[in-house]
Amino acid sequence: MNRILKVSYGPALLVFLILMARFTFPNKMTFIIELAIFSIYVMGNNILYGYLGMVSFGQPFYLGVGAYATAIFLAHVGTNPLVGMLLSLLMGLVVGLILGPAFIRLRGDYFALINAATCAIGMFTIEKLLLPITRGDDGLWYRARMSQIPFVDIRMPDKFFLFALAIFLIVLILYNFMDKSALGSSFRAIRVNESKMKFLGYDTFKIRWIGFTLASILSALSGSLYAINFGFVNPSLAEPHRAAEVLVATLIGGAGTVFGPFFGTLAFLGIKDLVSQYIAHWELAVGILTLLVLFRFSKGIWGNTEAIMNEKFGKKRNRSVKKLLTDKAAT
Amino acid sequence: MADTTIDKILEVKDLDVSYQKLRILFQVSLDVDAGEVAVVVGRNGAGKTTLFRTIAGFLNQEAGTIHFNGNDIGRLRAFEVAQLGLKYIQQDKHVFSDLTVRENLELGSYATKDYDWDRVLEYFPQLKNIIDRKGGHLSGGERQMLLIAMSLLGNPGLVLMDEPTEGLAPHVITDLSHAFKKISEKTTLVIIEQNLPLTAEVADRVYAMKEGKIVAEFKDQQAIENLEFEAYL
Repeated sequence: MNRILKVSYGPALLVFLILMARFTFPNKMTFIIELAIFSIYVMGNNILYGYLGMVSFGQPFYLGVGAYATAIFLAHVGTNPLVGMLLSLLMGLVVGLILGPAFIRLRGDYFALINAATCAIGMFTIEKLLLPITRGDDGLWYRARMSQIPFVDIRMPDKFFLFALAIFLIVLILYNFMDKSALGSSFRAIRVNESKMKFLGYDTFKIRWIGFTLASILSALSGSLYAINFGFVNPSLAEPHRAAEVLVATLIGGAGTVFGPFFGTLAFLGIKDLVSQYIAHWELAVGILTLLVLFRFSKGIWGNTEAIMNEKFGKKRNRSVKKLLTDKAAT
Repeated sequence: MADTTIDKILEVKDLDVSYQKLRILFQVSLDVDAGEVAVVVGRNGAGKTTLFRTIAGFLNQEAGTIHFNGNDIGRLRAFEVAQLGLKYIQQDKHVFSDLTVRENLELGSYATKDYDWDRVLEYFPQLKNIIDRKGGHLSGGERQMLLIAMSLLGNPGLVLMDEPTEGLAPHVITDLSHAFKKISEKTTLVIIEQNLPLTAEVADRVYAMKEGKIVAEFKDQQAIENLEFEAYL
């Protein structure tokens, strides 16, 4: 019970602050919805890049898988968005399990590029091969077909806001739990020294496979939420050139941290929202911020905040170290 | 983990190992009895580390067999060898630098389901005082102690250590040699070592390697204490 409270406290506080922001800035509800959904997408990429040290240039593919699974279901098969969402989660799991063993054998540039290639193939599949089902560039429209789900009518934007926030909270708590668990430590340790992990008895291939699959599931979930939110999906969501967005948000927020994806998304979408009101090329501001992070604050927004907090409030924790150093100096 | 009914805990026979077309080990054979401390000595480039990496499952042999506790481990992967109770501590002394001593030990525990830290910290009590210090802030000696402590979780039958005292201060080497003696009461140790006085102090058996071959074996304690193996280096 204590552990559940420990991993829930931070996410609950963050979601409370988001709720406050919703009522303080009522005209920013759409922005906040996108913030919650894109954060989940960045969390997925953060497992690959931040925890495992694997850069992927193909994450829009996994986002597209989730979005189209929900969209195709709602446009052609059923009307319940929750079933569409479960289908997306299942597709994310299946794609991760099938592609994982082949992809994670590759390292560095090769892993990044095979994902980019997969994304390009995915785009072609959506636009051309599955044209009768996906309707290609015209996209799929299904808002009118969506039925009401019990307790909350997520067809209404203000209700969908609460729904998306609830999903975000659940994902963030589970993510925090993962970070504090053996799995989170194993991810980080593999990034630092995979050989050592093998010598300790870890099957590092399986652990990276789990990470890849989790990233795929989170991206698919995010895609599904986009599909439900818009009531429309077209291939632009999964375009390969959009792979940089999720990478930049991960980097800015603080790779390998629990709350980094949220703050990275906040900075990325915030700049997009704010700067685009004044200049068309808002990407320029994101580029400058990225350079600043790369050269000056490599731990990102949350990574640096954590470091400062540890320095200020971590004295008690390090008392034994200081005592030892004092004793050594005395002798 | 150690099967004490089997005298020879490690048997390596006629091992040939190559890096691509370059042969490194030639017909290497060695035996280690359960409960002893065996030391492998030899000049740089003699093939000692290659031998250890092959036993630990990180390199494939071209020919020959490796048996640990009676099991053929020659074709197993590194993590499978470790799970059987044969641990390898690399020469680099790299711990997980972003993690604290506690978190490093936790990683050892997760893999083995052994959370009896008191048992392993008994050998290195100084680690208790720095339990929350990051691995990157440890001295060379502290890192080595942490690596040994991590490897001992799960009660391995045998630990391979690649030059554990390299670059360490004399008083740390003394501490380690005492620890080796204590550890060897429960776990078989095979050590690559360049420090000859330390070898003479801890070894029950010494193998000398040269140019990828075992060129001599010493089991006689008097011969070991007289550093007779030095002639083969």
